[in-house]
Amino acid sequence: MALYPLIYGIRASFHAYRYGRDVGSAGFKNYDAVLHDHTFWTALGTTAKYVAFAVSIETLLGLGLALLVVNQLRFSRFIRVGLILPMTVAPVVVGVIWRLMYASDIGVVNPLFSSLGLGSPNVLANPGSAFIGVVAVDVWEWTPLLFLIILAGLQSLPQEPLEAARVDGAGPVRVFFDHTLPLLRPVLMVAVVLRLIDAVGTFDQIFVLTKGGPGTATQLISTYSYNTAFLFTQYGRAMAMVVALMVLVLLLTIAAIRFMRTAAMRTSS
Amino acid sequence: MTGARARAYARIAALGLALVVALFPFWWMLVTSFKQPVDIFRGVSLLPQHPTNDNYSRLFSNYHMGSFLMNSLIVVTVAVAVSLVLGTLAAYALARFRLRFGLNESALVAALLVRTLPPILLVVPIYLTLSKTGLLNTRLGLIIVYAGLNTSFVIWMMQSFLEEIPRDIEEAAMVDGDSRLRALWRVVLPLAGPGLAATAIFSVITTYNDFLLALTVTSTPSAQTVPVGVSTLIGKIQIEWGPMAAAGVVGALPIMIFAVVVQRHFVRGLTMGAVK
Repeated sequence: MALYPLIYGIRASFHAYRYGRDVGSAGFKNYDAVLHDHTFWTALGTTAKYVAFAVSIETLLGLGLALLVVNQLRFSRFIRVGLILPMTVAPVVVGVIWRLMYASDIGVVNPLFSSLGLGSPNVLANPGSAFIGVVAVDVWEWTPLLFLIILAGLQSLPQEPLEAARVDGAGPVRVFFDHTLPLLRPVLMVAVVLRLIDAVGTFDQIFVLTKGGPGTATQLISTYSYNTAFLFTQYGRAMAMVVALMVLVLLLTIAAIRFMRTAAMRTSS
Repeated sequence: MTGARARAYARIAALGLALVVALFPFWWMLVTSFKQPVDIFRGVSLLPQHPTNDNYSRLFSNYHMGSFLMNSLIVVTVAVAVSLVLGTLAAYALARFRLRFGLNESALVAALLVRTLPPILLVVPIYLTLSKTGLLNTRLGLIIVYAGLNTSFVIWMMQSFLEEIPRDIEEAAMVDGDSRLRALWRVVLPLAGPGLAATAIFSVITTYNDFLLALTVTSTPSAQTVPVGVSTLIGKIQIEWGPMAAAGVVGALPIMIFAVVVQRHFVRGLTMGAVK
């Protein structure tokens, strides 16, 4: 079930499709077309930018929140439930929520900005702000994932080395960088790699929020290949695009399996 | 002491702000869904001025929300049930036997592969296959695909839960005359109960939330699921904000309840068993 679509997809990337019908082998023509397609490179660049910004912000925020919550026993349960809700709902619903927040006529973001004297940006209508807008939505939706995994990691850390360092007179900052962070590394890696892999495939929210626009400001490989396949029925070309992307993701996957193994061993021992 | 106190307040303030940022957008959707059209356009108001359930009734009468919900219910229930049975049996085999040719390893890697491929890569081949077999725009087509995709998740999760159950227990049952399958059913599964429940709920969440696949292989309300239904409300030239907000609420609510129930197992589910 896993391998059949994969093999089919790779095969399709070497076939030509006319009006959605397979008309025989095309050799490397699809790949050639993709590599000479200016929009593909733009979309690849946007995807890389999107993933880099979103994942790094989410990691820092998630780590910060986890550190704030980890020793806060009183409300930690309530806070946890509250903080994880954004990632539980369907990405489509996340898109709807932020359409309602960003809308220039009925939203909240515009009035909020103008009350702070920052003008009223029509977030999703301008290329620059639309990109920031969709990254912000990703951060809102997925910081909880990093937060939760890192929190679990922090709670399972052995306490003795940390105690020993404290007894030796190390301040909280020293303890964090010299002891907590290295111990946390495997779990942190699992979280970041998982998020990275998912972020590369982001589609739903973009589809609902901007459909890749305005212009190509928020066009990711996922939305571009979706359009190529289902708007222009160029299945072969769409698949060539995604296979190229997949090679990148595959490298991430190998790293993911490695890190997950080490993390599994550390947390279980 | 005052420094510590100040730090405690700063911490509470930071967490409070994070909670507001996380939760306010939900509140805004909820409020908008109970507003009348005029009030929606009348500036920011954190409570509906004249509460109405008009948006909800129009959602069900004009926008097919009833059939979207029904499709989701049927597809998710059957697909998750099938994948739980297949996946648990496979996970049991992987947890208890060393298979030849390093099959244990490759089976797990293949299962992880599905999780890591860009979804769009799976969608085009699945679309083309379903169109050849006449299963496009049917619930059966969705069920088959979701069951298949979810099985790999079940294998990973259940394998990590089953490995924690000591072999001695089922071996004792087998000495007493149970067959292996009977021992699995009578002894192992009850012990793995919480893990199985968490896996099931997780599967429900991811299957119910899926959008891309359902978007491509369904085209009419006879098979479209809730997320696709929600997105069709946006496609129109003029956005109907009220019904759209209501659709968002209907789409989010069942899943939020499930999520709160399994939050203890969340990390394990998200990392496919790597972090507990």
